[in-house]
Amino acid sequence: MIDSADNVPQDSRIEADICIVGSGAAGIPLALELGERGLSVVLIESGGHDKDKATQALYVGELANALHSLPDKYRQRRFGGSTAIWGGRCMPFDPLDFVPRAWIPGSGWPIDYTEIATWYPQANTWAETGLCEYDGDTLFAPMFPGFRSELVRTDSLERFSCPTHFGRRYEKRLRLASTVQVLLNANCIGLDREYGRIVSARIATLNGNRFTVSADRYVLAAGGIETARLLLASDIGNEHDQVGRYYMCHIAGNVGTLDVHGPVDKVRHGYEISSDGIYCRRRLSLTANEQRRIGASNMVARLHFPRIADPAHRNGVLSCLYLAKNFISYEYGKRLNDGNADVTTYTRHLFNVLRDAPDTAVFLAHWLRQRTFAERKYPSVILKNRSNRFSLEIHGEQLPNRDSRITLIDDRDALGMQRVRIDWRYLPQDIESVRKTLKVFQQEFTRSGTATLDFDTDALESDLTRFGAYGGHHIGTTRMGDDPRRSVVDRHCRVHSTENLYIAGSAVFPTSSQANPTLTIIAMTLRLADHLARTSSASEAEAITLEEVAA
Amino acid sequence: MKILVLGGSGHIGRRLLAHMAVTPGLVTVSASRGRKPATAGVAAIRLDIRNEVALAVALADVDCVVNCVAGDAASIADGATTLVNAARTAGHPGIIHLSTMSVYGRQEGTLDEDARLDPELGWYAQAKCLAEQEIERYVDLGGYAVILRPGCVYGPDSQLWVGRIARLLHAGRLGDLGTQGDGWSNLVHVDDVCHAVLAAIHLMPNIHDHRETGKPAVFNLAAPDSPRWNEYFRDLALAIGAVPLRRIGIGRVKADAYIASPAVKIAEKIAYHIGLDRSRFPDPLPPGLLHLFGQQIRLDSHRAEAQLDMAWTPYATGLNDSVQSIHAAS
Repeated sequence: MIDSADNVPQDSRIEADICIVGSGAAGIPLALELGERGLSVVLIESGGHDKDKATQALYVGELANALHSLPDKYRQRRFGGSTAIWGGRCMPFDPLDFVPRAWIPGSGWPIDYTEIATWYPQANTWAETGLCEYDGDTLFAPMFPGFRSELVRTDSLERFSCPTHFGRRYEKRLRLASTVQVLLNANCIGLDREYGRIVSARIATLNGNRFTVSADRYVLAAGGIETARLLLASDIGNEHDQVGRYYMCHIAGNVGTLDVHGPVDKVRHGYEISSDGIYCRRRLSLTANEQRRIGASNMVARLHFPRIADPAHRNGVLSCLYLAKNFISYEYGKRLNDGNADVTTYTRHLFNVLRDAPDTAVFLAHWLRQRTFAERKYPSVILKNRSNRFSLEIHGEQLPNRDSRITLIDDRDALGMQRVRIDWRYLPQDIESVRKTLKVFQQEFTRSGTATLDFDTDALESDLTRFGAYGGHHIGTTRMGDDPRRSVVDRHCRVHSTENLYIAGSAVFPTSSQANPTLTIIAMTLRLADHLARTSSASEAEAITLEEVAA
Repeated sequence: MKILVLGGSGHIGRRLLAHMAVTPGLVTVSASRGRKPATAGVAAIRLDIRNEVALAVALADVDCVVNCVAGDAASIADGATTLVNAARTAGHPGIIHLSTMSVYGRQEGTLDEDARLDPELGWYAQAKCLAEQEIERYVDLGGYAVILRPGCVYGPDSQLWVGRIARLLHAGRLGDLGTQGDGWSNLVHVDDVCHAVLAAIHLMPNIHDHRETGKPAVFNLAAPDSPRWNEYFRDLALAIGAVPLRRIGIGRVKADAYIASPAVKIAEKIAYHIGLDRSRFPDPLPPGLLHLFGQQIRLDSHRAEAQLDMAWTPYATGLNDSVQSIHAAS
């Protein structure tokens, strides 16, 4: 059932086995999986079906520096959460991400990779990314012909969701789930704790309704920033000053010039379609052994085109994108707002479009057919490779840093909740790690004779921070660990100091990996659903009954 | 025990006869309206189920009749009426009646056998509901009867749920349908249906349901591991090489179902009347079929598991069987 929280009687109390806060990539699968296992679930969602200005404004907050996007960007406070606008890129974390790495302070998960790997196939299904097959060399031809390396991998793959809007895709399932109640326009403004247990979640609507949800267990699935905000606002889980700290996004940017030797049609730089119909793309990365040897954090690089804002690329398609930047959403247009936007720049871009008109027309037709009107959308702009010259698009792990954090400020939102202040920081080691990795790429390309890579070490930091933190990846603010003094949740995602409060989402990731977080968010959520179902009071009662019968 | 199988030349009927042929203690006769002989080694008669007199003669010395008759509404609904009348005349042999999940109509959610019947889905559901009413009448009048309500019967030689789907996948008219393919497939292997029939025959005198309630025993039949339609389309497409699988938008698939397919159907009928080969026409994708792909109905088959001792064929095995039969036929 899906209803508006405004229809709930004022000051009433709703009871359920599980109360979930947030209906995004974690909340919706969690609610449906638990409902399927017979548990009664109340799923609290702040927004409605569509974006609402007043609701979205509840996300407004403060930035400590300009490196991070505004707090109300990249996050969506509506049914389906940020899956309403995500890009759909999915790939699993690597086994190395889960083990303690001496060169990365604070690394190491309390659980093994295999505990997550079990759930990746189902996570793929939820995200509509097809089969759980991520070996590029099994599915497609090699990325570069003739390139063999013991140090550099070219076989890793990313698969793309439609991108699936979880609200729209799973709405019918939620409507039909007999034990699941979805409440829209319902804002959780606080959690009440008594004797180490949450006893109620306080719910408010922007229209003035107030009520509580009383559940056996509670799950916060509100995203890496909002989950920390809720805990801090409720003064829960922060006994050791860990909530909101270790905030990570990803280190990202375009660097260097890669010149590949050989025929242009043999370089797999763009999207390929797997037999199960999924757009896939190859990446470069270091092997686990090489990461260990040189002490690098995890990172991938994709073959990319030159800086769009610089008309020197003389490419009509890129210039067309630049000229259309004011019509592209903030989240996707951010990287176009770079450099001088003077008349000369615009004129040069316009000239590129006119000179390259046939290619631009072909691109636009392809874009309309394969992206605008397609249900499974072509993931992003990819140019035809004519020159074998690329830049590298870096997406790298950030080291956990306790000074990179989310805090609350005195300013309050329309519901009286304190707003957040985001102080995202990176460390010199983050940049140095990319440099070391690129050096290995450089060495291996040269050794194999496949390509040459040039990059400016001195410009690396500015290249990687030009657009600041990678938007939309909010990681680590309630990190998982066995030691309550250094973490917020335990291996089962339960808040250490609270018996019945759990967290679903990337907030619990102790480290950020090379991977976009969504697929692992879903996998972790499915693992959590299984844990909650197996340890529910209903299951325990059934087990006791069976034991009594057996006795 | 002597068994008459009505519809013995159909998909389920032929498979059932093969199972019966290796089941000790059964003497089987296949009855079919068509001219094709049914199964090698099995006695076969030509019979129209609507011919009450001939049917009564055929039933004279049988212990049980299995009604697998498909076809048009009249064959299904009127056929059930004549079957009940003929069975009464012949001394009340047991009846195993193969119905369908379509009798649940547009309902969604998990449905057990006590869910209400809804004949509004179309002529087929209406005919099947009428047929079930006739079987109930038979029990009212003192006969034994069991109604089996299978989901979509797949496995070797299934044209409806394997052959047709495979052709539509190859033609790029089916694929990943998104929300429109999110319904449960309720697949049940043809061998599991046969097992249910045999179990029902052996258990019929012991099934107390109709004794106590005056109603036939009813069993849903769908494998608990049967996937959603999108997953089945993907798995079948990969197995038969109909790749890459395509994501098909709702607009396009609806245009196929509501505009192109009716036109194909009309052309097919015209071709039939003027003596042209209908097999050359592409498979229609009727709106009812499209609706089924999105219908979130899930058959609860626990009763069959408990009383008919069902051991479901795993989905992977059923898929493999289905694909092998496609390869063998091509």
